[in-house]
Amino acid sequence: MIIHYKCPNCGDDMAFDSESGKLSCHSCGRKDTIEEFDDEFITTTFSQDEAKEYQCENCGAAVITDADTTATSCSFCGAGVVLADRLSGDLAPAMVIPFTISKEEAMAAFTKWCKKGRLTPKGFMTADRVKGITGIYVPFWMYDLNSKADVHAVGTKVRTYTRGDYIYTETKYYDVYRNIDLNYVKVPVDASEKMNDELMDKLEPYNYGSLKDFKTPYLAGYLAEKYNYTDNDLFPRVKAKVQKFIDSYISSTITGYSSVQYKNKHVDTRKRKSFYVLLPVWMVYYDYNKQEHTFAMNGQTGKVVGKPPISSGKVAAWFSAITGGTFVTLKVISLMLGGGLW
Amino acid sequence: MVKNRLFFKQQLFLTKTAMAFMLVLFVFLPLTGAFAASESRQLIFDNAGLLTEQQQADLQALAVEYGEKRETDYIFLTVDDPEAGDVTRYMEDFYDAYADENTGYENAVLLVLDMYERDVQLASFGEAKTSLEDDRLTMIREQITPDLSSGNYEEAFRHFVKTADKYMGIRPGINPESVIFKLWFQLAVSAGIGGIVVGIMLYNSGGKVTVNSNTYMDPSNSNVVQRRDRFIRETVTKRKKPSNNNNSRGGGFGGGGVTRGGRSYSGSRGKF
Repeated sequence: MIIHYKCPNCGDDMAFDSESGKLSCHSCGRKDTIEEFDDEFITTTFSQDEAKEYQCENCGAAVITDADTTATSCSFCGAGVVLADRLSGDLAPAMVIPFTISKEEAMAAFTKWCKKGRLTPKGFMTADRVKGITGIYVPFWMYDLNSKADVHAVGTKVRTYTRGDYIYTETKYYDVYRNIDLNYVKVPVDASEKMNDELMDKLEPYNYGSLKDFKTPYLAGYLAEKYNYTDNDLFPRVKAKVQKFIDSYISSTITGYSSVQYKNKHVDTRKRKSFYVLLPVWMVYYDYNKQEHTFAMNGQTGKVVGKPPISSGKVAAWFSAITGGTFVTLKVISLMLGGGLW
Repeated sequence: MVKNRLFFKQQLFLTKTAMAFMLVLFVFLPLTGAFAASESRQLIFDNAGLLTEQQQADLQALAVEYGEKRETDYIFLTVDDPEAGDVTRYMEDFYDAYADENTGYENAVLLVLDMYERDVQLASFGEAKTSLEDDRLTMIREQITPDLSSGNYEEAFRHFVKTADKYMGIRPGINPESVIFKLWFQLAVSAGIGGIVVGIMLYNSGGKVTVNSNTYMDPSNSNVVQRRDRFIRETVTKRKKPSNNNNSRGGGFGGGGVTRGGRSYSGSRGKF
């Protein structure tokens, strides 16, 4: 089942507009509020094998897609199409953060980011070899988690004082116990096989204020993927992710000691809720020096991540500048103290 | 001790006559500048006969050269006489006599060797007293002791003059041999900071992680349910306060003092 939004006024293709947040027609300027669209395609369940091949409703050509794709554009007529059967039933996202950065804004933001790169080669900074920029709704699982931590530790307080000819070191040992109940909400983990986990983690945080109930028109004109991993598959990853948060919370509750030694730390993290969401990401493909570099940009906040090429000359220049500067400073300090130049 | 003093008076008298004679010569020489007096002032008093004439002349020239720079007399005094008595007192009396004779600035640094007892005494008077206090003098003494022990007196005095000159330029209260004055340390620290900063820049070039433990926490539903901080036991260890008396090192003792002529000084004394 394929969904294609045709403008009721002029018959042109409609697509999601990141600026207004509405489904809009670029020919006549009609804008439809997405919240009013019905959910019929999401609630209907399609049989798994119903469609092997999709036909564009606009031009009739075959829409060739990847097995994970849930939204794309017809390669013949360019109309944005949504593959409804891949977004229904178990595969229906609960929520979506729509794009707020348009393609042009993303391109401008990326160019600006390239210019800021202090260690990247000069040729890269001009950002003139961008091969492609694609807006993708990446599938994420969001978890609401409850963690119970039971911590036993030994804390010491050390005090030194002088009496007579002796220096006394007094060490007091404390038995420290903490029982902590922590709740984390909407911790995201990307559920797409194709996306680099490290890259996706660095894109965070998203502003959850603009989380919307999922409607298919949000995807019109963009690419979208469906999840490859279920929420249970990814639970170990989210657990590892919050473990760091829990550890730092625990240490923040044990204060006033000179040293803390943990005897045992028992953390039990359980899932309270999980839901499937689509988050907006601009993928930028950049050819530099016969190598393709992939960057990701948060489609809501504009944060750019990805390993840029590194210029060894610039690294050397920065290193020598900082080293030289520090050396001169040290020399000046030594001169002021009267140490002489050599 | 009175004898000592007389001994010096005699010594100085002889020197004075010699100097007077020279002065007469100088006075009659045309184009003699104001430095004449200072240049002719004797600074090497090798009563023990440790140096050749050439060495004495060389050291005199060195002492004059450095002395003008810091307006300080670098005096080398040796004695090999069982009657000379304690080296510190010997030095004090010598300087009282010397300072009485040579008016002008009263900044002086002395290296005194008692060959009979094999004692070495360093002392600094006047402004040098604060810029070369006991600890610094002890450092210099420890540096020159090997040379003194092996009979390398000329080299010891050269090192003494140069190091004293260097230390006097460093603010009082700062260890002149502090690692911050060392080139290798300055290079290592600079390279270390450069490496760390560039390393951080490289690490962050691909985008920073900007979430922290509070980003996803629900603060209203997160809390410490139970906490306990129970005192169990206490241990106390004691150690002796380290003494600040560096002079105890290397068989040295005593610091500065005041001469009988009322001149106070910093000092360091030891064996060689």
